[in-house]
Amino acid sequence: MEFPKSIDIPLDIWVDGIMDWVLSTFGGFFDMLGTGILYFLMYTEKFFLWLPWPILVLGVGILAWRVMGSWLAGLGMAGMLFFVGALGLWELGMMTLALVVASVIVSLAIGIPLGIAMASSDPFQAIIKPILDGMQTMPSFVYLIPALMLFGLGKVPALFATIIYAVPPVIRLTNVGIREVSANVIEAAHAFGSSYWQILFKVQLPLARPTILVGINQTTMMALAMVVIASMIGAKGLGLEVLLAINRIEVGRGFEAGLCIVFMAIIIDRITFSMASHTKDNTDR
Amino acid sequence: MKQLKRGMFSALVTLAAVGLLFGTAPAADKTTITFADFGWDSAQVHNRIAAFIIEKGLGYPVKYVQGETIMLNTALIQAKGGEAPNVNMETWTENWQELYDEGLAKGKDPNTDEGFVNLGSNFPNSVQGWYVPRYVVEGDTERGIKPTAPDLKSVFDLPKYWKLFQDPEDPGKGRFHSCIPGWSCALVNEKKFEAYGIKENYNIMQPGSGPALAASMETAYKRGKPWLGYYWAPTWVLGKLDMLQLEEPAFDQKIWDTTKACAYPAVKCDIVVHKRLPEKAPDVIAFLKNYETTLDINNKFLAYMQDNKASTEEAAAWFLKTYEDLWTGWVPADVAEKVKAAMK
Repeated sequence: MEFPKSIDIPLDIWVDGIMDWVLSTFGGFFDMLGTGILYFLMYTEKFFLWLPWPILVLGVGILAWRVMGSWLAGLGMAGMLFFVGALGLWELGMMTLALVVASVIVSLAIGIPLGIAMASSDPFQAIIKPILDGMQTMPSFVYLIPALMLFGLGKVPALFATIIYAVPPVIRLTNVGIREVSANVIEAAHAFGSSYWQILFKVQLPLARPTILVGINQTTMMALAMVVIASMIGAKGLGLEVLLAINRIEVGRGFEAGLCIVFMAIIIDRITFSMASHTKDNTDR
Repeated sequence: MKQLKRGMFSALVTLAAVGLLFGTAPAADKTTITFADFGWDSAQVHNRIAAFIIEKGLGYPVKYVQGETIMLNTALIQAKGGEAPNVNMETWTENWQELYDEGLAKGKDPNTDEGFVNLGSNFPNSVQGWYVPRYVVEGDTERGIKPTAPDLKSVFDLPKYWKLFQDPEDPGKGRFHSCIPGWSCALVNEKKFEAYGIKENYNIMQPGSGPALAASMETAYKRGKPWLGYYWAPTWVLGKLDMLQLEEPAFDQKIWDTTKACAYPAVKCDIVVHKRLPEKAPDVIAFLKNYETTLDINNKFLAYMQDNKASTEEAAAWFLKTYEDLWTGWVPADVAEKVKAAMK
C-alpha cells in the first residue's frame, strides 16, 4: 500500500530556509567563532608538530608502563608510535592527533557540565537523551556540509563534526556515573551540612570518576574514528591520506595510513582505559 | 530456540524479498543493463534517460549502482559478480586515464573477459578550469558588491591578489580550492601552480570530496565573498552561479605534455560498455552508439533540475519531453513509439 501523497511535510524546504537565514544573519558571528576555534586548533597542531618525536615516543612508553603496570606494554605502545614515524607518516599522524586532542578537549568542556546538569534534572535528561541519540546515529555527511557552510572548508568544520559525533558518550557516562552514587552517601553528606556544590565536587564527582573516565575513553575513540570522514571536508592528516589512497585504489598506501589510525587508537584506548580502571581500584580500596 | 526462530523469520523475510525482486523483474531472459551511477547530476540524468529508453523501448531490465569514479570503473572493467556496472555514460577519461587505457587495451584482448569498448561521444567540449565569482572582478550592483579584483583576468594576475583569497589556516598565503582527491586534475593543478609561478603565494586546498567543493563555492557565492578554485561543466553549480573562468594560455599538446602551463583540453565525454555487452544486447549497443547530446542541452537540464528542485528522474522525463526530435532519431521508429507510450 502506498503512502498517500497528499500528506507531505516540506521539512527539507524549512531546513534549507533556516540554513539560508542563519548564513545571512549570523555569517559574521560564525566567522568570528571559526577564527577563534582555528587559533586554538593551529596552536594545538603547532605544539604536536614541534614536539620532538623521541620525546613523545619515550613519553608514551613511560606513561603506558606506569598506568598499565607492565614494562612490556610500555615498550609495545612506544613501538607502535615509532612505527607510525617509520612509515613516513609522522607529520600527518601528529596533525590527526592534534585534531583529536582538540576535539576531545572541547568535547569534555561541553560534555561534563552537560552530564552534571542531566544528572541533577530528570526533565533535562528527557530532553537531552533523544538529541544525543540523533547525534550518534545521524549519518555524518548530513551535518558535515552544513558545518562546512558555516565555517568554510578545512579544520574548523572537521572539529565541529567530530565533536557532534564524539561528545555523547562523555555526557551519557557523566550522567550515569553521578546518578549511580548511592543515595545513602549523599544523605550522609547532607547530614554533615554540605551544600549542593560541596556534594557535587567532593562526593558525587570523585565517586563517579571511573565512569566518567570510561566516557572520556569512549569520546576519544569516537573522535579518532571520525578522522577519515572529517577529511572529506578538507581536514589534513591520516584521514586524507586514506581518502586519497582509496580514490586512487592504492591499496598498500591506504593500508599504511589505516594501520597508523589503528595504532593511535590502541595507544590512546589502552592508556586512558588503564587510567580509568586504575582509579577504580583505588576507590574500592 | 528464540534465536532459531529469529533466524527462520529473517530467512523468510529474505525469501519474500527475493521473490518480490524476481516477481517484478521484466523479461528475465534478457541481460540486466547496470549503469555506473556517479555522484554528479549530469551522469545520473543521462543514466536515467538511457535507462528509460532501454527499459520501456527495448525491454531490458535496468539497474543503477552508486559509487566513486575509480571504484565503479574498476568494477566495470572486471565485471565480477552480479552488481558490477556494464555501462558508463560519462567517461571523463582523464580523471582515471591510466585505468581507462588499461581497460580499453583489455577490451581488445580476446584472452580475457575484462575490459570495455568505447561507443563514442555522449557530449563534446566539456569545460574545466579555474574560476572566481564574476562579482569579484566586475562587482554586482544589485547585491551591492564592489569589485575587489578589477584587474583579475588571467591566472597570471593571481599573485597580485593573494590577500583577497587568504587561507585562514595559513594567513600568509591565498587559498586555491583544487579538485577532488584522486582525480588527475589534482596533479594537473599542482603542475600548473609551478608553471604559472603562483606557488609562493597560494596554498592548494584539497576539498576531500565533490559535495565539499561545491558547497564551499556555493556558500562563498551566497555570502558575496571571494573564492578561487577548480571546477568543471556541465554541472548545476556552474549553471546556477555566475562564475568567471580565468584566462590561461590556449591549449597546446606540447605544453600540456611537459609543464601543463596552458588551458585544459576540451574533453569529450564518451560512453563505454563492458566488452561482453555487445554480444548480449546488440540493440542496446546500437542505441548507445547513436546517443549524443550537446553541452548546451546538459546545462539546460541541470538548470531545470536546480530551478525546480527536480530529481534526476524528473530531469530525464523533462529531457525526453523537450528533446523528442533528438532522441527519437537514436532508436528505430517502433521502439520510439513504445517509449512515447510509456511516457504518458
